[in-house]
Amino acid sequence: MQKAPFITSYLTEHTADDAFATLAGYRAHGGYEAARRALTQMSPEQVVELLKDAGLQGRGGAGFSTGMKWSFMPKDSDKPKYLVCNADESEPGSFKDRLLLERAPHQMLEGILIGAFATGADKTFVYVRGEYAHPANVLQRALDECYAAGIFGANCLGTDLRHDVVVTRGAGAYICGEETGLLESLEGKKGQPRKKPPFPAQFGAFGMPTTVNNVETFSHVPHVVAKGADWFRGFGTEKSPGTTIFGVSGHVKRPGLYELPLGTRLDEIVFEHAGGPPDGRKVKGVIPGGMSMPILPASQLDVPMANEFLRERKTMLGTGGVMVMHDATCMVRVGCIITYFFRDESCGQCTQCREGTGWLHKIMQRIERGAGSPADLDLLLDVASKMEGQTICAFADAAAWPVQGLLRHFREDFEEHVKQGKCPFPESFEL
Amino acid sequence: MPKITVDGASYEVAEGRTILQALDDQGVLMNGVDIPHYCWHPKLSIDGSCRLCQVEIEGIPKLQIACNTPVRDGMVIHTRNERVEKAREGVMELLLINHPLDCPICDKAGECKLQDYAFEYGVPHARTREPRRAGKKRVDLGPTIVFDQERCILCRRCVRFCREVPGTGELSVFSRGDQSVIETFPGEPLDNDYSMNVADICPVGALTTKDFRFKIRVWFLEDVPGICTGCAKGCNVHLGVANNRVYRYVPRRNDAVNGTWICDEGRLSYARIGADDRIAGHEVRQPDGRALPVSIDVALEEAAERLRGVIDRKGAGAVGILASPHATNEDLFVARRLLEALGSSQAGVAVRTGRSDALLIQPEKAANAEGCRRLGFGPAEALLERARGGAVAALLVLGHDALATQGPELLETLRGLDVVLLADSHRSELERVAQVVFATRVVAEKHGTLTNHAGRVQRVVPAVEPSFDAHAEGEIMWRLGRALGLPGFDGAWDLQAVSKALAETVPAFAGIDLASVPPDGVPRADR
Ligand SMILES: Cc1cc2nc3c(=O)[nH]c(=O)nc-3n(C[C@H](O)[C@H](O)[C@H](O)COP(=O)(O)O)c2cc1C
Ligand code: SF4
Ligand code: SF4
Ligand code: SF4
Ligand code: FES
Repeated sequence: MQKAPFITSYLTEHTADDAFATLAGYRAHGGYEAARRALTQMSPEQVVELLKDAGLQGRGGAGFSTGMKWSFMPKDSDKPKYLVCNADESEPGSFKDRLLLERAPHQMLEGILIGAFATGADKTFVYVRGEYAHPANVLQRALDECYAAGIFGANCLGTDLRHDVVVTRGAGAYICGEETGLLESLEGKKGQPRKKPPFPAQFGAFGMPTTVNNVETFSHVPHVVAKGADWFRGFGTEKSPGTTIFGVSGHVKRPGLYELPLGTRLDEIVFEHAGGPPDGRKVKGVIPGGMSMPILPASQLDVPMANEFLRERKTMLGTGGVMVMHDATCMVRVGCIITYFFRDESCGQCTQCREGTGWLHKIMQRIERGAGSPADLDLLLDVASKMEGQTICAFADAAAWPVQGLLRHFREDFEEHVKQGKCPFPESFEL
Repeated sequence: MPKITVDGASYEVAEGRTILQALDDQGVLMNGVDIPHYCWHPKLSIDGSCRLCQVEIEGIPKLQIACNTPVRDGMVIHTRNERVEKAREGVMELLLINHPLDCPICDKAGECKLQDYAFEYGVPHARTREPRRAGKKRVDLGPTIVFDQERCILCRRCVRFCREVPGTGELSVFSRGDQSVIETFPGEPLDNDYSMNVADICPVGALTTKDFRFKIRVWFLEDVPGICTGCAKGCNVHLGVANNRVYRYVPRRNDAVNGTWICDEGRLSYARIGADDRIAGHEVRQPDGRALPVSIDVALEEAAERLRGVIDRKGAGAVGILASPHATNEDLFVARRLLEALGSSQAGVAVRTGRSDALLIQPEKAANAEGCRRLGFGPAEALLERARGGAVAALLVLGHDALATQGPELLETLRGLDVVLLADSHRSELERVAQVVFATRVVAEKHGTLTNHAGRVQRVVPAVEPSFDAHAEGEIMWRLGRALGLPGFDGAWDLQAVSKALAETVPAFAGIDLASVPPDGVPRADR
């Protein structure tokens, strides 16, 4: 694991320094001063307004305004209220939260403390991906330091704010990252997303009003509070301010993490920062935001990495997991891998998702084997369209979109399989 | 009250209901407004997983599921346009890609929602070329239910039922995605007092009862509305009838009584109707102890003869009636009139009691125990005590419940009387002590009303005809009264007239006659 991204900005400036994961090291860089300011000099409403002004958007995939989300928490409820920090990071191609957990746990905890103050939450559950044993341990150690220093507990930072943080380990399913699947899992049940309404802000963890935010989202918060909305808006685009940590993987010379402003062009990330494809190879396609997001062909990489631009190309930023594929890659095999993943990970509640993911995978495999028919291409699109926008959670969309993307831009790969009756990419990765 | 518009028709609905609930409240769901649905069930929590009930709501870009979307005032809903139909078609196609399509050998065929909806809303041809998902075909889930994994559409109604109704939670979905499967935990079979309801609510042929499986094709069955007589709850049922035989009970929805459920014991009690131990004709006991089959007229003459003897020797006040809590209110009213005409106060009723629960099962194991009380029949013990003391010389015994409550001592008591007349439906030891035995009809074979434990008066109609000569207790007693020349017992047996008289003369039944009782009964809380 990298200790710091190849390119750093405010989030990852100090992560190369081992001490930054300790309370003393974090304090040496002004740690918990933003929280102190919020708790002692601001009202919760002012914090929420500040985040809205800054335009911070969730970094967990959906890109929803964090300030807005916090404002949905009921103010006059007599029930306990909860925050959940989503550290389940299981989107294939996404590995940024791990760095923040391992190398900058206090930064995230400070964001949580500010969130607790702003939303009036009594407790935060940090739901850490099951396989992230080390990050969970680092986080727990940081949290223990906080309790010893009076940062959390009965009188947070010496104020009369009471807030507790609990680190829980995930149950090892992709769907436990979906916020309501997470809540079920957190409650000790099978990780299956909940139907909405009710929404988590009314009926969340253990039936209490709850707000779920991603690790990185919380990590931005202290910076916004410390340096202000205008400063934050100095990064990124008008509609998508701030930086994010791109995780670049696949066929590039320098795979790894890059903290860059939103709106950085995808070709700049792939070619300049990550060094482009191995010598002698050309880029064929790039998935811009983790496996659920539709792929872009080499000809469309001149796009700023922000949702307002990516949407025009029928894809999205997702979790910023940039997956690069070179020209020997068989896009049908890519389709097989993607559809297998979603088939395997569907929780199985919704008809379209349970049955559609399996069917997509079977059709993909058939085409890859060389047994596909011309009609199968449209069948894939038709099945995908039946899954889209009709299910309990966005998983079914996440399973349908990549298939649509592959056929949108690489239809000829599929047609060649059908025509030749075999896979025309002998040098592609093995399935 | 919010007003909603569905396909152009407006409804005033209750606050806080979802679209499907509101339409169900109005009684129009699948009865004017067709929104096909699998996972939603009116008496279970909302699941929202089958996604079949999607509708278009003006102002909301995506289709919404009707089962979980709360109504709002002014909501305009479309259930029939192209978009909605396309979405349904999509769900139906996806549900069918892995379905075994073994309707020809499936017991649910004919009442299967997958069949029905596929016909109504599906696509006519299959586009899958892959083998269908294979699953276990005959999983023994417990003493009552067999499960076919391949047919299951994972609507989770059965899972929610076990968790929410009996609270036993035997069933769960194991694994995930397209490997999901309904199962029980090892060593924990599906075994509770209500287990067989899962077969009714399973929209497909995945869950079938061992009792009904492969007995008959359901399209041969006529559903006759009736009442379960297993206990004082009086659960509403449909009797499945073919060839003059009752093949099953299934719950008939009545939100004021049993909702959509019945207990297993009650469900299986249909078997008593056509049982081998029915009393299949009237009998007169010969001096040598043998029973002689006779016509009803001969039996009545013999009975009247014997009663006259007792009346002459000991007075009409020595004639008593031990009533049956299985008899209808009308039957019992005739019994009461008979005693009044005789000037006797010797009446009582024996009610067998047993296990009960908070859900449906009542301690009194008869359908009309409350009706008996409301018509003035007190506990059998007092009557039998007086009989032992010599105050009763002739007893007309209806049914044999007293055998269960009094034990063999009852036979002793009866042997001590001058005359014992029995009117009953099933064989018992009582026949041996009775001089005359009348074959009676069971509830499924007659018209009448029954009063359940909560005072609700419910109507029954004949679902089958006995294959032998049998009569309602009321008719037998009427004809006996006429044979004795008692005042008020003239003319032919006329149930309608009896029912009218009951409604007119007994305050507890004021205004309730056969013709006026609606299918879901009439509540009568006051005693
Ligand atoms: C199938 C699926 C998996 C998801 N996995 C994650 C995850 O691992 N981590 C995460 O933060 N968000 C994940 N999300 C998004 C969450 O549902 C939720 O939107 C997010 O945690 C909200 O935080 P944010 O507003 O800070 O982005 C997932 C969503 C879906 C549909
Ligand atoms: S869309 Fe898929 S993953 Fe999400 S709830 Fe439905 S079945 Fe589960
Ligand atoms: S067995 Fe029947 S009721 Fe249970 S989940 Fe399957 S289809 Fe639904
Ligand atoms: S609860 Fe009573 S009335 Fe209802 S089905 Fe069972 S035995 Fe019959
Ligand atoms: S009935 Fe609404 S989703 Fe199943």
